[in-house]
Amino acid sequence: MIPLSWYLVLAFILIGLGVYGMMVKRNLIRVLIGAEIIGNGVTIALVALALYNSPFTFTGQGLTIIIIAIAAAHTALAMVLMLMYHRRYGTVDLGQPVRQEEITGV
Amino acid sequence: MQGFETLFEQVEFILLAGLVLILAYLALEHEDIVYAAFFFGMMASVVAGFYLLLEAPFIAGMQIAVYTGGISALIIFGVLLLPRAQDSTLEVFPTSRAKRIGVLITSVVMILSGILALLFPWPESFVSENINLSQNLEELAKWLWGSHGIYVQMTALIILTALVGAVVIMKMEKAERLEPIKGEFGIEAETHPAYTETQEEEQ
Repeated sequence: MIPLSWYLVLAFILIGLGVYGMMVKRNLIRVLIGAEIIGNGVTIALVALALYNSPFTFTGQGLTIIIIAIAAAHTALAMVLMLMYHRRYGTVDLGQPVRQEEITGV
Repeated sequence: MQGFETLFEQVEFILLAGLVLILAYLALEHEDIVYAAFFFGMMASVVAGFYLLLEAPFIAGMQIAVYTGGISALIIFGVLLLPRAQDSTLEVFPTSRAKRIGVLITSVVMILSGILALLFPWPESFVSENINLSQNLEELAKWLWGSHGIYVQMTALIILTALVGAVVIMKMEKAERLEPIKGEFGIEAETHPAYTETQEEEQ
């Protein structure tokens, strides 16, 4: 039997990696990938916690299904926002608006 | 025999965990964004292995269908649609100070959550007799649609709102170029002079 703490350590490392991707990266697509990695970490933790909980309930699995469905929708929305950002600034660089403001003052 | 099964499960877990962490790292750090998107897809499909270990085969199938089949494909399409997304200069952060702050916050998150995972007295095992795999999907459907159907409907509404919002945002720029709608039937819109000029230039 695998101890629950192993799953939780893995989930938290994944969440940490995702936070790193969201905080450090400039490319908007990397930021989105970081958010998805956080989602994966959270779902692993939820399913593991629900299974090891006594008595067993389907709360974790049900919530995971809802999270996966919402993840698909938020990725689609993020893609649209990324397209709009690209149309406005001509790049997917997160630092572009700041640089543009420094140059033009707008 | 029981000891051998436990050892086999633990080795399986360690192999999967190593693979997931390497793929997640590559998805964030590989210099070519196209490869990074593929690594993310692979990572999502390996995560399904954990759901199989956790007696949740339906979630594993859903993970592969939605994450690997849907989300990673969407990210790859996004990379292909955005012309400068593959620019390798984007992979270098302009100031090392911002990177240091990011790494610091990440470390704090990981250390705090690591303390929680290792020090809290989590249960070491679960009672496998309580979980009947043949009944799993049926019970899950009952949980989801029977007692918690309202949450599924709320989720559906949230997703619908998000997608309508996405379409509206895409259409917004075009709408901003149009003057208020006039005319006898309320359908003729006068185009903005600036927009007409750009159209003429394009022609």
